[in-house]
Formats: sequence, structure tokens, C-alpha cells
Amino acid sequence: MSIWLASNPWLTVVYGIIVLAIVACVVVFTPWSIALFTFREGLRKKTLIGFLILSILVIFGSMFMTAMMYDTGGTVATDVDVKLIKDICITAVSIFGVLIAIFISASVVPTEIENKVIYTVLSKPVRRFQYLLGKFVGVQITVLVNLLLMGVLFSIALYIKEPIFPRMLLYSIFLTYFEFLIVSAFTFAVAAASTSAVLPTIAGLFIYITGNLTQYLESVVNRSEVSENAADKALGWIAWVLRYTLPDLQNFSLKTQILGLQINDTPKDIQIPNLVVYGMLYALAGYIIAYWVFRRKEL
Amino acid sequence: MSAVIETQDLRKVYKGISKAQDVVALDSLTLQVNEGEIFGYLGPNGSGKTTTIKLLLSLIFPNSGTMKIMGNPNITAPEVRKNIGYLPEGAYYPDFLRGEEILRYYGSLYGMKGPSLAKRIDEVLEIVGMSRARKRLIRGYSKGMRQRIGLAQALLSDPGILILDEPTTGLDPVARKEIRDLLITLRDQGKSLLISSHELLEVELISDRVGILFEGVLQTSGTIDELLTRREFTIKAEEAVPEAIQKTREAGLAPEDAAAGRVVFRVPENMSLYQALDICKAQNMKIVSVAPRRETLEEVFVRVVGSAVKNKEAQRGEN
Repeated sequence: MSIWLASNPWLTVVYGIIVLAIVACVVVFTPWSIALFTFREGLRKKTLIGFLILSILVIFGSMFMTAMMYDTGGTVATDVDVKLIKDICITAVSIFGVLIAIFISASVVPTEIENKVIYTVLSKPVRRFQYLLGKFVGVQITVLVNLLLMGVLFSIALYIKEPIFPRMLLYSIFLTYFEFLIVSAFTFAVAAASTSAVLPTIAGLFIYITGNLTQYLESVVNRSEVSENAADKALGWIAWVLRYTLPDLQNFSLKTQILGLQINDTPKDIQIPNLVVYGMLYALAGYIIAYWVFRRKEL
Repeated sequence: MSAVIETQDLRKVYKGISKAQDVVALDSLTLQVNEGEIFGYLGPNGSGKTTTIKLLLSLIFPNSGTMKIMGNPNITAPEVRKNIGYLPEGAYYPDFLRGEEILRYYGSLYGMKGPSLAKRIDEVLEIVGMSRARKRLIRGYSKGMRQRIGLAQALLSDPGILILDEPTTGLDPVARKEIRDLLITLRDQGKSLLISSHELLEVELISDRVGILFEGVLQTSGTIDELLTRREFTIKAEEAVPEAIQKTREAGLAPEDAAAGRVVFRVPENMSLYQALDICKAQNMKIVSVAPRRETLEEVFVRVVGSAVKNKEAQRGEN
């Protein structure tokens, strides 16, 4: 079955309707001027530019590293060489990409509160939910553009070493965006309740790290079930709560397949519609929480 | 004259960690700004001026009381918001944008676009005298230019009501005069202005009515003529030796200023002009001039706030 279809046709239709409904609402209700303004502002944030430059250095640095390995011995096999580039680049895209997503999601609203720009915006005929939606969409455009840029550079780096179409990489970038979308939405929700970017940044990092440790959380739960120790039980309970409330971000990772398979292969054992709907619903939940805390927030 | 802004028994408390730390920012504020007038909203720092403005813009929410803008209790309604222009104190405008770009952004928030927005941007830039600097980046603007751009964004929708928080703070005298003239012109065009300010002289020069707020309570309000009712006399005299000045002081006529044999007396309320002149003559002073003077807004402000402080201290003493 195609990875673009859900496990049964009706589910595919339902998922399609959910995705279309969310996209249509975003397109209709977003004040695009606020979104574009946020995007333009985001591109000028020094922290983001710093992360982007670092990621570019790491991506192209990986090529130089493999070139040096050739020079020293000439014994390194081409597939090991490509594997090293893939490993370094995927890690760079994930780490720098998520840092960009967290920092921008954490700062857009608190910064506008701090410098009072929000006063002039909300004194206009702009509802709070529209303001937040504009900001959120602006953040997503920034995250997406940064991710695409890193993806293109990654593809170029790979293509130079192995001139084949990097299909697997494109799938990975696509799914990574939905992982970032979830992290970004929850960081944004915490930011909507904060007056500084520090707490939401910490919260975003927590969600990203914990969301990628679901297997570990499960093993903690399992161990606590057989343990008699009260501390283990308490830890197990916390791990259980985290496991079933926080998103499972490991689902979005194709790292093992990228490293193990050919770069022009199609990924196996994934259902993209499930992951897209999963990501969008978590993002929607994040936005609803953000609006809930922001609608009566005193500015 | 109909009221465009009305508040009734407005109360706002900023919650602290415990009840003892609660701060009553506004208490029973009943205020009215009429159509086509400039209302000067005065008060020391922390008196509740900005809180009032934030409440009117729904940036914060009252604990009790009601507000109406243009008779509409739904103050967040789009038709109400379109009719309000707001200039916050010390606002920041993104410095990577040009003057006209920031106006295009704010204009789009009103739903304006295309040629009508471009035309309106031209008009407001002309009104605030920024047409020549429209293409420059905001980071290259002086403080006065930023304030003008702020005023331009407040005027974009051609609102009937302007709420301006410290519109002339930090400006040089020439810029102040220009902004002041602009505000009078806007009033003459029929707009209603609520101006929160520390610049008492300026408020006195342009306001039709004034309200003085202290610790969240509106101490007094009225037209400038109603508030500046006190008439006083000043006497200027020469050939006043220190001993003579000391004697006039003992007689109840304290000098306001004295230097190089010249002295200025302000006749106190409990003394007639004739009595004051007799005291001066008795000390062989040469009377140079006698002039009536009206109390200034600054003096009213100091008197009202001073009296409120005394009352508060007396209440604390009783408790």
C-alpha cells in the first residue's frame, strides 16, 4: 500500500477532510499581513541567523571531513563516506531546525509585549485569536523556509557525493516539518502565557527531548510496574503521564531508514496521512491552548 | 455635546501574591470625554492614567464598572476599533521597515489596501510632516520622527477618537509646538482627543477639559476656566533690605523671590492687596508693580495632588 494512504480508504478520506478543514480555516482566518510581518521579522533575528549559519557550516563541513578521510588513507569506502555525511547532516538539520523553531516560537509574542508593538496592533480591529493566528502562521513560514533551506543544502551536499535523486531525504524533511510544527505549537502556547522568552524556550526543549524519549519512558513505566519501591512507582507514574500526554516525536524520524537504505529509496513502514493528521491535531491543540491563555491575558 | 468615551465606576485591581499586595490602580473612575474636545488626563507616575487607557483598549480588563465608546458598551467591536487611533507611550516600531512600510502594515490591519491605502498613507504622512522621510528606514529616524510616525499610524483610519499617551515626551521645543498645533487642528476638524501627559503647560495650552488622577481616584475634572479660578496678585518691590524682608515675612507676607534688593511677593489668600501694600510701604520698599495673575494648571495640579496626599496620610493616621 502507498505510504500516502491510511490503513483503510475511509480513514484516508476522513484524514483528508481534517487536513483540508484545518488548512482552509488557516487560509481564511489568518491576517496575512501579521503573518508576513512576523516572517520578515523572524528572518532578521540574530539567534536564528546564527543557527542557520552554523547548520550550513556543519552540512558543508561534513563534506570536507569525508574529503580529508580520502586524502589520509584512501581506504574509506564510498558508502561509509555518504553515510557519514547523512548522519552529520540529519543531526544538524534536526538540532538546528528545532532550535530555530523553538526560539522563534518562544519569542514572537513576548517580544511584542515587551516593546509594546502589541498595543498598537490590538488597538486596531484585530481580534486576539487573529493576532495569535497571524503570529503562529508567521512562525510556521519562518520554520518552513529555514528547514527547506537546510534541506536543499543537505541535498546538494549529498548529490555532490552521490548524484542520485534524494527521495528519502525529501520525505524526511517533510515529516521533520510536522515534528517541528508540534514542538513549535506547544512552545507558542507557553509563550502566549509568558512575558519573556526564557520559560517557553525551556518548555520547547523539554517537549522536544521528552517527545523523542518515548521508548525510554515506556521502559520506565514497565520497570515501575514490577518494582515495589515507592520512588520507582512515582517515577513510573510521571513517565506514564508524560508518555500519554506528550507527542511521540520518534514517529517522525526517518534517520534509521536514511542511514540504512539508499537515499533514492522510498521510506518503508510509515503512513504519512497518520503522521500529518497527528502533527496537525497536536498543533491545533497547541494553538487552542495558546488562545485560551491569551484571550484574557493582561497586556 | 455627546460623550464619545464614558466610564462609570471603573475599578481595576492588580492582583499581588497575597491580598495585602493587591494594588488598586483605579477606583470608581467616572469619566467622560466629549465629542470634539481635547481632554487632558493628568496625574503623577503610577496614578492610573495608562491603566485607564489600556482598559479602554481592552488590553486589560476591569474588575467592575462599565465603559462605553461612542455609546457602544461593546468596546472591542470592529466598528468601534476603526474609530479609535492610539499612540502608546514610548512605542517601538520595527526598525527594519521604512516609514511608509510600517504604515502599510498598520493600514492592512484596518482592512485597508490598494490605492485607497496608498492615498491615505500619503495624506497622513503629509499631516505629520513626514512625507520626505517616508522611504527612510525607521532605524535612521530621530525620536521626534518616530513619534510622528506613531501619530501617523494612529490617524490612518481617520478615526473620530484619538487616545494619545504622552505624545510630546522627549521631543524638542520646535517639535512639541508642531505636534501641539497638529492636535489643535485635529480637534478643530471635529476629532475627540484623550491626552495623557506630564507636560502640564502643554495640556493647559491645548485642552478644553482636564481631569487630575491620583492613586486611581479622579480628584477633580472640569474645563480649564473652571479649574483655574483662583486669582492672585503679585507685588514687585525694590530697595528691600534683608531686615525689611524679614519683617514682611513676620507680618504674614512671605517673599516668593528675593535678590539684590528686589523682591516679589505673592499676596496670600487671607490678606487683601491693600494690606499687603501697606506692609511693604511700612518697610520703605519702593513698589515697582502690582499685577493680577491666574493660578497655573501646574499650581492646581500640585495643590490637588498635595491635598490628596495629606488626606491619605490623615486617613492612615486615624487608622
